[in-house]
Amino acid sequence: MKYLGQLGLIFALCLVGDLAAHLLPFSLPGSVVSMLLVLVLLASGLLKERHLGESADFLLRNMTFFFIPPAISIIRYTDVISAIWWQLILVNLVSVVICFAVSAWTAAAVIRLQHVVSGGRRG
Amino acid sequence: MVEILSSPLFGITLSIVAFKAGLWVSQKVKNPIANPLIIAMIIVVGTLEIFDIPHQYFEEGASFILMFLAPVTAVLALTIYRQRAVLLSSFFPVVIGTFTGSLAAMASVLLLSRWLGLEEAIIASMIPKSVTTPVAIALAEQMGGLPALTIASTLITGLGGNLLAPFMIKVFAVKDPVAQGVGIGCCSHALGTTKAMEIGQVQGAMSSISISLSAIWTVLLVPLFL
Repeated sequence: MKYLGQLGLIFALCLVGDLAAHLLPFSLPGSVVSMLLVLVLLASGLLKERHLGESADFLLRNMTFFFIPPAISIIRYTDVISAIWWQLILVNLVSVVICFAVSAWTAAAVIRLQHVVSGGRRG
Repeated sequence: MVEILSSPLFGITLSIVAFKAGLWVSQKVKNPIANPLIIAMIIVVGTLEIFDIPHQYFEEGASFILMFLAPVTAVLALTIYRQRAVLLSSFFPVVIGTFTGSLAAMASVLLLSRWLGLEEAIIASMIPKSVTTPVAIALAEQMGGLPALTIASTLITGLGGNLLAPFMIKVFAVKDPVAQGVGIGCCSHALGTTKAMEIGQVQGAMSSISISLSAIWTVLLVPLFL
């Protein structure tokens, strides 16, 4: 009963997220709204970790499993992909390098700035 | 035979067996290229092709598995919530680093794809690909992309980040372990984070929290790229 209750709660939160996504003035996927909703409920203390418990951990531990069906549907697009495969690889890898450089440099700059500020305070 | 194959249990069982086999092989081989999802895909597609099983039979079960994508995404909030202490320890470097990083990832995909003359649906599939797969799929679908192509892109991105991380750290002379972790988690989600964990404990923790933060920033910033 414990697991069924947890799963029921997770499904209900997804439905509320879906409904909220329809009512929002900007378009966001229902599942993402559900995620933000659960985060807000956890942070506010209205929802406790144990309410989601083992069922949530089961979903998280096996997350990759749930990507199998959408991944398999790639065979419907083999003609599209065979025409642009090198562009796909190029775009994805170049953006990895750019994203890494920008985020790592920004983080490093913020850390240096924090050192300067705290050093200044001490001085 | 048709009665058995057309049962939703067929697609579900095949997926579970393929996933378990994929996990087993990836643990034996210990190379990021031997990814459990890639192995599972090969097993499922191979089984359907070899035995000449129509895909509609697989999809009977696949639709049940697909139904769980939204709950999986919703409970991601739990991982974010559990990392709150780590987040507070390096709040500004992580929050600001993942903000500029997410922006750079989406802008670079958009500009590069336009330059290469790719179609809008392809571009929409790739724009959110730097973030954790369930969020990337949801955002891509919303923008009119193909979820399958988004998964392929998140795989290429994650494996690329995993393999390139040590070189990128050297080439871009990133010395701070926190900044190294933020960079890896922001650019290559969970697949890159396994490499960050090998590099060091701080890098691993920062990479994990950056997956969550870059997902939130990407959700908030994606309307700019519609």
